[in-house]
Amino acid sequence: MLTVSNLTKAYNGRTVLTVPALHLPSGIHYFRGGNGSGKTTFFRTVAGLLPFSGEILLDNQFEINRDPVAYRMRVNYAEAEPLYPSFLTPRDLVGFVGKAKQSPAGQVDTLLETLGVNKFWTQTTGTFSSGMLKKLSLLLALLGTPQLVLLDEPLTTLDIATAARLFDYIRQLRAEQNVSFLLTSHQDISLTGLDLTGTWQVGEGVITAVTEQV
Amino acid sequence: MLTFLNRIFVGPFYARNAGTFLVIVLLAFGFLSAREHKALITAALGSPFLLAIVFVLWGLYLLKTTSFVRQALSAPEHLFLQSFWLVPNVTRYVLWLAIQIALLFPIIAYAGWMVQIATTYQKWDSLSAIVIYVMILVGVGAAMNDHRLRHPSPDTFRLPNFTFKLPYELFFPTYWLRHEPLSFVLTKAFSGLLLAGVCRLYPTDDYDQRLLLIGLLLAVLGHSQVGGQVSAFERQYLLFLQNLPLSWLQRFGRYVVTYGLLWLPELLILIRNCPAEIRLDYVVWLWLTGWGWIMLMHSLAYKYDVMPEGWLTGVIAAFVIGLLTIMFGLPVGAWLVLGWLGAVGCWYRSFTTRSLT
Repeated sequence: MLTVSNLTKAYNGRTVLTVPALHLPSGIHYFRGGNGSGKTTFFRTVAGLLPFSGEILLDNQFEINRDPVAYRMRVNYAEAEPLYPSFLTPRDLVGFVGKAKQSPAGQVDTLLETLGVNKFWTQTTGTFSSGMLKKLSLLLALLGTPQLVLLDEPLTTLDIATAARLFDYIRQLRAEQNVSFLLTSHQDISLTGLDLTGTWQVGEGVITAVTEQV
Repeated sequence: MLTFLNRIFVGPFYARNAGTFLVIVLLAFGFLSAREHKALITAALGSPFLLAIVFVLWGLYLLKTTSFVRQALSAPEHLFLQSFWLVPNVTRYVLWLAIQIALLFPIIAYAGWMVQIATTYQKWDSLSAIVIYVMILVGVGAAMNDHRLRHPSPDTFRLPNFTFKLPYELFFPTYWLRHEPLSFVLTKAFSGLLLAGVCRLYPTDDYDQRLLLIGLLLAVLGHSQVGGQVSAFERQYLLFLQNLPLSWLQRFGRYVVTYGLLWLPELLILIRNCPAEIRLDYVVWLWLTGWGWIMLMHSLAYKYDVMPEGWLTGVIAAFVIGLLTIMFGLPVGAWLVLGWLGAVGCWYRSFTTRSLT
């Protein structure tokens, strides 16, 4: 599903992440590691948010730099600590992202219900709690028809009921549309009840396999 | 602690306003010789009315500095600064005074020059007024900053929220108007007044179209900081943009609309003040040229992390080269093509060039 080759990411000349070769089969992958280990940098790089050296290939077909539009149509990302302009509402942001990601008809309504964003649909994000911001970021990351969704710390600040509905939805996407997920979490990942395809350790800018079921 | 606070407030203030400072320096010292400038100061020292105008301008600058500090204090990444409140009152106020003096440094330096001239001409009343006013500015600024620190969420006047779905093209204009209103007003007032001024000046002497082009050049350079502001806004609040499946052309097109809206008031000003000797279509070409060059500055500023001093050098160089090229008679059509081609080319290049950092 995702193949990473010779990836090097540096900030101001200092290398923070090196991935010589990594192949992730379709499924749900859990990335663990301490603070500052490089998980978020890896996720942001795979999501196309950061420039890097190397190659990232989706489904042996879409390379992140050669096919920037097709790749980004299929890869979505939710921030660990989302932040949006305080004067915008979920309606504004979902309207824009949903159009760009070509969200199918009815999808927004389903996600609004699942994540409970419908309760503050026209409220400005400046009035949001961190949990409400998290719900909005998850909603944006599930728009369109992605093949891979990167969820950075999806459990943080999310209430238990919404988390349960979110993981049901993830299971449904996995079963019905073969969508793959990459997750990070500092909390007990077994709480999600998801069947993990692989677990990966990120530390000192290097990614190593802990368990992998291919 | 002062070094730390300087890194939060003083450094970023000068970095963000580098473009504005450049324009002020160009206006104040580029068009006036040192002798003329000295004569202007002497006139202000002898006229309470002129001195009052200088004081009003300094007051506006004070508002700009306190507005920046307020924004910095309310920024989510600076929430930890609330602990600054725990520093003993006297120490904290002294620190605020030091920060405010650093922020008001251009005014204090200019006031020092005025004081020196006032001493030469023995204008003791004006000298006293300047010294007292500068001290008031520093004190009031420090007090305003401290008040904001102790009242982090005041019930202030807020613009009403929109009841319609806000399109992406209006995200930055809305942010600029709501969160950096002084920068918005100063940029647009400078640009608008300058263009209106050159249009009104045109019929008073034997000027040609180069005067209008010089006015346009300065108005465009007055917008030089906007690309950096757009970039900073989107990097902080709209991180997901880079994940969206939009081609370089689609992204460019959206910025064209955004900047077109921001630059629209200048079209109305040019049409309203169009000199009788100038054809209406010429000022429209002039406006389209300005739009293209503002887009070029956006393309240059958006993707690259340009250091403020590097950017400032670039703007000064652009002014000098632009002025020389205008004086050599490069027509508006050539400026139009160069601006738009440069904007598209730089934008395309920034999306096809990869880097490690």
